[in-house]
Amino acid sequence: MYILGVETSCDETSVSVVKDGKEVLSNRVLSQIDIHKEYGGVVPEIASREHVKGITYVFDKAMKDANISYEDLDLIAVTQGPGLIGSLLIGVNAAKVISLNYNIPLVGVHHIAGHIYANYIDNGMQFPLLALVVSGGHTELILMKEHYHFEKLGETQDDAVGEAYDKVARILGLPYPGGPIVDKMANLGKDTLNFPRPMIDSKDFNFSFSGLKSKVINVHHNMIQRNEEINVPDFCASFQEAVTDVLVQKTIQAKEHYQVKQIIVAGGVAANSGLRRKMKEKIVDTEVYFPKMAYCTDNAAMIAVAGYFQYQKNKKADDLMLNGQSRLNLER
Amino acid sequence: MKKSLKQLVIDTATDYIYLSLIIDGYEKQSVYEKGVNNHSVTLIPFLEEMLNRENLTLKNLDEIIVGDGPGSYTGVRIGVTVAKMIGYLNNIKTYKVSSLALMASHSDNPFVLAVIDARRGNAFMGLYKNVDKKLIQIKTDCLDNIEKYRNNLSCNYEVVSNGKPQIIKIINSDLLELVKDIHNLTPNYLQITEAERNLKNESNIKTSS
Ligand SMILES: [Zn+2]
Repeated sequence: MYILGVETSCDETSVSVVKDGKEVLSNRVLSQIDIHKEYGGVVPEIASREHVKGITYVFDKAMKDANISYEDLDLIAVTQGPGLIGSLLIGVNAAKVISLNYNIPLVGVHHIAGHIYANYIDNGMQFPLLALVVSGGHTELILMKEHYHFEKLGETQDDAVGEAYDKVARILGLPYPGGPIVDKMANLGKDTLNFPRPMIDSKDFNFSFSGLKSKVINVHHNMIQRNEEINVPDFCASFQEAVTDVLVQKTIQAKEHYQVKQIIVAGGVAANSGLRRKMKEKIVDTEVYFPKMAYCTDNAAMIAVAGYFQYQKNKKADDLMLNGQSRLNLER
Repeated sequence: MKKSLKQLVIDTATDYIYLSLIIDGYEKQSVYEKGVNNHSVTLIPFLEEMLNRENLTLKNLDEIIVGDGPGSYTGVRIGVTVAKMIGYLNNIKTYKVSSLALMASHSDNPFVLAVIDARRGNAFMGLYKNVDKKLIQIKTDCLDNIEKYRNNLSCNYEVVSNGKPQIIKIINSDLLELVKDIHNLTPNYLQITEAERNLKNESNIKTSS
């Protein structure tokens, strides 16, 4: 079974061909990161325009890489949401055209299901499974008792962890996107500032990063006022230690409460080296998996894999009324 | 028997979805439906229904003509994306035409001003002229203050803001532009984004001080 994945929920135009939900034959990602860099974040209208510009080119490359023709496809999986609505509409409409043109079934996939299923490509899945999804838009803990069954245990009450990283990078004058660079700096420094670990002792599985963000801004502001020299590596290390302490602690709590067999960390922040290290260090009795770097950030291969399992489970395709949704519930 | 020429027209730059199926120079089927903020839901189903009525599929098409704006950014993107995909998948000739020209073609008045509201007193506007069953563009489509633009016009014109296009008139005019490389097809927004404008202004201030 050949599945065509399409992902345009934010600022990457991506198309992939996956065989039988596992074997990635191609995974093209046209990134707009250099365009949005100048603005210090993703500009939705620019993102939408870039998707239209690049869409057929990316399809063409992905199909040529996979060395199959459109007639050979058995299923089309497209990100339905959540995400930037203007961006989602491009992928959804392009996918609908392929579905109509070749009479191929179409499924609309939840972006987070994609991030979770990215793990299936190289590591497989064992249930019950706990997924920590961490990215620029998400921070949540999800329990899966079987394939394509999601139960949200908790989520951020305010900012996503990736947003907090971008904010820290901005106040330190580091370039966008903040995640990779703050991570890199953190590896060169020490936790000297002892920032708060928000909600680390709460019994639930929710997160909050806005308080930490304000604290970081305040501390930085005060250091500037006092003409204190800011040790950027130590500043980044202090922030990263605080964030990863909370993420790891909450994951451990959920793991114990639900007696899971496998833990996966998914989403862009899963690429964070500090988080990877601490997860492996603190959790020794349960296997912790991270998708390959290429499948951590937004990509269409993960959408194709998730779409494959969604179609297996529901035995039903979506109709051509399918629309993009900026907000979408994973547990539907 | 000679193979017939099948042309599909798509325009979604306004509140209306316009679809047309032209076979050998005759409009055999069309859709002109108002739908606010749901072009993304209905465009493909409307297209499927229309093709079904003629027992055709996308693969039977020979050419595609798309309204490339100006107009609603989101709206025009949907039509252009769909047309671009159809043109690319079936490797057929793709033409673009101003969405304002399509709108203007509705009227047979000698002079027609097509207007798509762009808020704050501004609009996308194009001035067209009907001559011998053809439509001719008099002034390049622009985004401007409505009052200012209209004060500078001396001719007697009819303002058109909706109405089903007379597509045969468009086909017979010189308003279609062949898209040479389908991958390069993009909407004609007529203005850069606000973020780009702000960035430009910032750098202008920096360079001048
Ligand atoms: Zn994502």
